[in-house]
Amino acid sequence: MLEKLDQICQSGLDSISNADNLNNLEAVRKDITGKKSSLQEVLKSLGSLEPDLRKSVGMKANEIKNIFADKIKERETEIVKTASFIDGEIDLTLPGIEVSEGSLHPITQMSYDLNDAFRSLGFEIYSEDDISSEKFAFDSLNFPVDHPARQSMDTYWIDGTENKSGTERLCLRPHLTGGSVRYLLEHGAPARFVYPGRVYRNESTDARHERAFFQYEALIVDKDISFSSGRVMIEAILEKVFGRKVKTRMREGFFPFTEPGYEIDMECLVCGGTGCKVCNQTGWIEVMPGGVIHPNVLKSANLDPEIWTGFYTNIGLDRLVMMRYEIDDVRLFHSGDLRFFKQFK
Amino acid sequence: MKISFNLLKKYIDLPDNLTPEQIAYDLTMRTVEVEDVINTADKFRNIVVGEIKEVRKHPNADALTICMVDCGLDEIKQIVCGGTNLYEGHKVCVSMPGANVVWHGEGEPVPIKETKLRGEKSFGMICAAAEVYLNDYYGDPDERKIVDFTEAGTICEVGQNVSELIGMDDTILEIDNKSLSNRPDLWGHYGIARELAAIYKLPFKEAPDDLPKGLPEYPVQIDAPDQCHRYSATKIENVYVKESPDWMKSLITNSGMRPINAIVDITNYVMLATGQPMHAFDSSHVEGNKIIVRSAEEGETLLLLDDMDLNLTKGDLVICDTVEPMGLAGIKGGKKDSVLSDTTDIILEVASFAATGIRKTTKRFNEKTDSSIRYEKGIDTQRVDLGVSLACTLFKEIYPECKITAFGEDYPYKTKKNKIDITQDFLDVRLGTSISTKDIEDILTRLGYLVDYNDGTYHCTAPTWRSTGDVTIKDDILGDIARLIGYEYFKAKPLPVNFEHAVNQSHYDFIRSVKEYLSFRCGFYEVFTYPWVEDRFIKAAKMDFENAVKLATPPSPETSYLRTSLIPGMLDIIDKNSHYFDKFSIFEVAQVFEKGEYKPSIKDESLPVHRNLLTGIIAGEEVKEIFFKVKGIIEALPVYCQCEPLEFYSETQPLWSDSKVWLNISSEGKRVGDIGLISLGTLNDSGIKNIKAAAFELDMDILKPYPSRTNKFKHLPQYPLVEQDLSIVVDETITWSQIRESLKYMVKELKFVEEYRGEQIPEGKKSVMLSLKIGNDDSTMTSKQIEKKMNGIIKILKNKCRAELR
Repeated sequence: MLEKLDQICQSGLDSISNADNLNNLEAVRKDITGKKSSLQEVLKSLGSLEPDLRKSVGMKANEIKNIFADKIKERETEIVKTASFIDGEIDLTLPGIEVSEGSLHPITQMSYDLNDAFRSLGFEIYSEDDISSEKFAFDSLNFPVDHPARQSMDTYWIDGTENKSGTERLCLRPHLTGGSVRYLLEHGAPARFVYPGRVYRNESTDARHERAFFQYEALIVDKDISFSSGRVMIEAILEKVFGRKVKTRMREGFFPFTEPGYEIDMECLVCGGTGCKVCNQTGWIEVMPGGVIHPNVLKSANLDPEIWTGFYTNIGLDRLVMMRYEIDDVRLFHSGDLRFFKQFK
Repeated sequence: MKISFNLLKKYIDLPDNLTPEQIAYDLTMRTVEVEDVINTADKFRNIVVGEIKEVRKHPNADALTICMVDCGLDEIKQIVCGGTNLYEGHKVCVSMPGANVVWHGEGEPVPIKETKLRGEKSFGMICAAAEVYLNDYYGDPDERKIVDFTEAGTICEVGQNVSELIGMDDTILEIDNKSLSNRPDLWGHYGIARELAAIYKLPFKEAPDDLPKGLPEYPVQIDAPDQCHRYSATKIENVYVKESPDWMKSLITNSGMRPINAIVDITNYVMLATGQPMHAFDSSHVEGNKIIVRSAEEGETLLLLDDMDLNLTKGDLVICDTVEPMGLAGIKGGKKDSVLSDTTDIILEVASFAATGIRKTTKRFNEKTDSSIRYEKGIDTQRVDLGVSLACTLFKEIYPECKITAFGEDYPYKTKKNKIDITQDFLDVRLGTSISTKDIEDILTRLGYLVDYNDGTYHCTAPTWRSTGDVTIKDDILGDIARLIGYEYFKAKPLPVNFEHAVNQSHYDFIRSVKEYLSFRCGFYEVFTYPWVEDRFIKAAKMDFENAVKLATPPSPETSYLRTSLIPGMLDIIDKNSHYFDKFSIFEVAQVFEKGEYKPSIKDESLPVHRNLLTGIIAGEEVKEIFFKVKGIIEALPVYCQCEPLEFYSETQPLWSDSKVWLNISSEGKRVGDIGLISLGTLNDSGIKNIKAAAFELDMDILKPYPSRTNKFKHLPQYPLVEQDLSIVVDETITWSQIRESLKYMVKELKFVEEYRGEQIPEGKKSVMLSLKIGNDDSTMTSKQIEKKMNGIIKILKNKCRAELR
């Protein structure tokens, strides 16, 4: 009988170590310790044995039962450790399940990046309406009466008003700057605000020219500030947008609504300033015209130029975005073509 | 504008260590934008003077000749040439390896290499004029004739680069004309030299006075003094049409014009040098020997060189003799106003025309010339002296036999020097730093100002060349000081920080939050469309044009109306994308316009009505699915974007919508927009096939954002809720909202799962599956309670919705 038990023990242990998953193991457990198992048979037959033998066989059978329990536990731990939910093969090189689609327009993305940067410097956001009048688009901004931009060639005048003048001659705004006077008339000074938006020019289009494009203008009006503060502001903004310090240079420029006016160039981020096709080998990209507000503009905003001064900067958003993604055709922004927009997440 | 260093050097001595690149940089930083620096000698690289030592026949080709040529190298080189005029001892033009030549004067330049021609070695090429950019100097109608310097009498040395022979050893600065628009004084080399002298503190070589003196008067009369401030006529006799000397041809070429003949070239040269336009014409054309400058009469005509008549109107300024107009002042010469091949005596016109008149006439005739772009910037009247002097000097030099026989002028208006006071205090604050009186005086004096400093104030007198509109206020002088010091040298001062008010602009935050909701949560792509829309899409959307705002000069005749809704523009985009995608979601936030009264800023100004609209489109196959997706997006928008709730109702069908599938949207009782399926008619008329679309349109100006997040926390249920599913069968006419309404007080939560029609469901009925949660507030529900509640629910559904359990 004892030999039989040894046999049971050995074959039971073999079954346990052969079980290669939890289901098998459970089957083995039933098989070797269940009611119909050989071990139970032995235990059931104990009564018919001699007392001496009964004792030693009983002890041994129980011992085996415990060994089985331990080994099964041990085996279970081993199996869990290496278990997989997958039966058979799985191709882990299959692509993941796509996340939900959708994105903001790349121009909006840049605009929001700038908003965040300017907001953190205490700027308000303002937006002017798309249709304006010659008064705000030109007169208030010190444009000479016969400035070429006032000719119908360059500006989209509204039908029926094109031969009038001033507040009665309406147009799709050719630039954002007129909005600055509207804001100042409403809010007064001191002021610091940004006004992003779309502007319109009547010109033929190609990869670098559009009839509708985006600008982002910022204006500060305060007492006793120097134009050199304008440069600090621009450097702070560029640093926030590009995530690192961007070299800039300030040079002479001319705009009717500034005096003095300047152009701000930033180092070409494509070549790092060493010269490439994008920057026409100069290492610099012209990004922002700007300047000190012309006294005549302050006067049209009912502000005394003897007290107030300030400066503009106007960022060409399309250009900045084209730079960010190396986009080579400005017309894509208004194309509505999702093959383009799906690239910007 | 092109600035030639060789011409510049006549007015300023530039030190050798100052490179053209440095000058370009300094001009860009301080004055005008230099777009490019071009070395004109570059294209003549390795094109040199060679002397033919020996000429012999090519053994294998009758049309070719073998020349032994001394090119100034260590050895004599063998060159095979097809030229017909090859003579021993003559100096010719040789392109050596590394040179680029234009083969037979046509096409792109090709590099020269050492080669073999029909079995004979050839080191380079003996060239004809057109092949090496010398047509203006050594051109010959026979293209088989090579350039023969000996024949032409050119003084040159073997090995000398040919660019030096014709003054092409020059550097050119390309200046962006736009950056020059406020500086009329810089539209010539003279002005640029004067500016460089100021920048580098170098002496400026003023042009000598060579005005005709003590001559008989030539009669000139100005009848329109507001349009012509000064007119001078100089009569020069005994000249004839000939070619200009090479030095002048090259300076004219390098400054961007073409040489024509010596008389015309002198006038162009004077303009390029001084910025003062001038004009020459045959004095025998002037009937009555008198020049009258006047406004044209209505209906008058000007006979042009090509015998066409130009119709004039009142206000056009014309140069006339005693009989008729000869030319359009500053813009266009007529037939009389010209130099012809038989001309011997000329009148030189140097005049000051007012900028505004020139601009108007230029615009009317759509004719921009080198003269008119200079005049329209505003030139000081004193510059006439400079022009006349230089022209006289040049005529005397190029036509030693000529005689200046008469001079006359009318000078009704003289450019006055602008006087402006500026204080030290103003400069200190605005420059953000203190500059010494001595430095300020120095800078301004270098720029031509007269400065008188007295007790904190600079009394400045601007030079005449800056007094035609450029310098008028003290800020202009501030700008001059700042740029001459250099913007790069001003220490940047940080801005003062203001903590007085927090920026809180919920309207802008709301728009952003809606855009982000749609893009990041609902899977939409943001697109932009133009504000002008093609008529066919407006018609397709069934909208009328009556209230639409129209452009006077639209991008195209079909896009003259501005949008009153974003839907038409979206139709265009759906159409385009339907070729590439079978489902997609897009939205746009933009302004739309309608005729009306809207006064955003001042009461004098009335603009069309603007509305900020949001439009979204889901395009796809299953119409119910896309419609209810759109509906779900609108339902959740107020929660995710924090605004007043939105409700649906049915009152006014949107023009573009399907007759059955549409709803109006309201907020606080006001209509704020619509949703709907785009109708079959609208899709058909837009040419959209194979795809359907559902749309929503919301007026962002009426939607009311909450100032901050406002939803309130609800306690988690203390006792578990029980979830039960229910399938009922109801009449088709019973709506979900009736079902929902009937169970309002019975359940904690109610969800629609699905609708089913078909097998097992009788005609006219539908099966609705719902999922609901019930529970007690003060205890866990027992199974008895659950049973009782469910029976109650079923009973209510039966009573109110005539529902049967399925």
